[in-house]
Amino acid sequence: MTCVTIREGFVDYLTGELPAGDLAEFRGHLASCPACREELEGLSAVWTKLGVLPQESPSGALRSRFYGMLEAYKEGLGKERVRISLGQILSDWLGRLMPRRPAYQIALALVLMAAGLGSGYLMSVRSRSTARTEVAGLRGEVDAMRRIVAVSLLKQASPSERLLGVSWSARIDRPGEEIIQALLDTLNHDANVNVRLAAVDALYLFYNHPEVKEGLIDSLSRQSSALVQMSLISLLVEIRDRRAVEALERLVQDEKLNPKVKKRAELGLVQLS
Amino acid sequence: MDPISDNRLMEDVRDGKVERLAILFERHHIMLFNFFLRLTGNRSVSEDLVQDVFLRILKYRETYLSQSRFAVWMYQIARNVHVDHLRKQKPELPIDEQFDEPAAAGPDTVERLSSGEEAATLRRALDRLPLRKKEILLLSRFQGMKYREIAELMGCDIGSIKSTIHRAVKELGKIYFELQGGETP
Repeated sequence: MTCVTIREGFVDYLTGELPAGDLAEFRGHLASCPACREELEGLSAVWTKLGVLPQESPSGALRSRFYGMLEAYKEGLGKERVRISLGQILSDWLGRLMPRRPAYQIALALVLMAAGLGSGYLMSVRSRSTARTEVAGLRGEVDAMRRIVAVSLLKQASPSERLLGVSWSARIDRPGEEIIQALLDTLNHDANVNVRLAAVDALYLFYNHPEVKEGLIDSLSRQSSALVQMSLISLLVEIRDRRAVEALERLVQDEKLNPKVKKRAELGLVQLS
Repeated sequence: MDPISDNRLMEDVRDGKVERLAILFERHHIMLFNFFLRLTGNRSVSEDLVQDVFLRILKYRETYLSQSRFAVWMYQIARNVHVDHLRKQKPELPIDEQFDEPAAAGPDTVERLSSGEEAATLRRALDRLPLRKKEILLLSRFQGMKYREIAELMGCDIGSIKSTIHRAVKELGKIYFELQGGETP
């Protein structure tokens, strides 16, 4: 290899695109050519130096704006779909019905006029039912999107974003296993008390799911914050699950338990009996 | 289970499952934000530009062809978004000339993005590179793109990308050297 061909390969070397087969010859040339070696060292120093530029994080507002935009777009798209599908149905229907000969067309018009009043009522009932189906479909899509947003926010480093994740979770009609598990994980493992408290409130909305009841009872013994414990006790009393009695009894026996929590647990036991 | 590829997700977005864009956003928005931040030196402008990229992805989703990598298509949109931003900033200057002049107006417009004098000097040096060189260097060094992909994105041949990176690194070293007051990197 000449100095010219070696220098053409400098960028390949820096970016890791130098073919493995050329590496030995490349290094061999550098070992014997101080000029090429010096030039590569200079380029390599700059390339490496660029690594000091840190990766910055955008503010939480970017994520909120993106999801707001996505939801707005989806809503717009849903309306567009309803408009297009109704238009197409009407056009196809008329196209099939219209006879080719003018005399038949006039006859058909008269028949339609006579039938118009009677069918008007039926048509309105049908269009209402179509709209209901479309709205149900849209709700399902919005729900799916909310699930993605909520799970993603619950994984963020910032407590305020995780709080936002809990509040998105609470807006889901059909949470599914993934959201319930994410909320229970938040309740049991989140470092921030406010986020854990918010998770208790969100889980209250889904208490009719068996895994939620079980998770809440199980969580009672895991909590260290008196606030979260009291909130959980109130919730367990509210949903009146008998399995909670055992958990409360165990809690009351804990000697290190905060006196206020103990009082609340004892009251809870009375309310559940 | 392997994660779903970007291309597959974008095909779904194209075909109407627009909620899947959320996954692409989560995968790419930080890299994209940093790309714009290194181009503009301004956090809030960079966030606006990221938002604009995803808005355009939705707007033009039906034009997506899965032959090339999603990221290549996305950075093509990102470049257009950035060019439009520059047009708004300096409407009187033809865009070709903007590509030849330094990417930012000068050190005064560059925010102190994080502590570290070294990083600050490097940013100032980068801002003195002409826009095209800076874009190609950033795509190669920080966005992990291969020559072939950058060439496809910029609409030119691989040889020209290679030589641009070479010249950009050399020039950056020279500017950095000057800014450091003669101390080589």
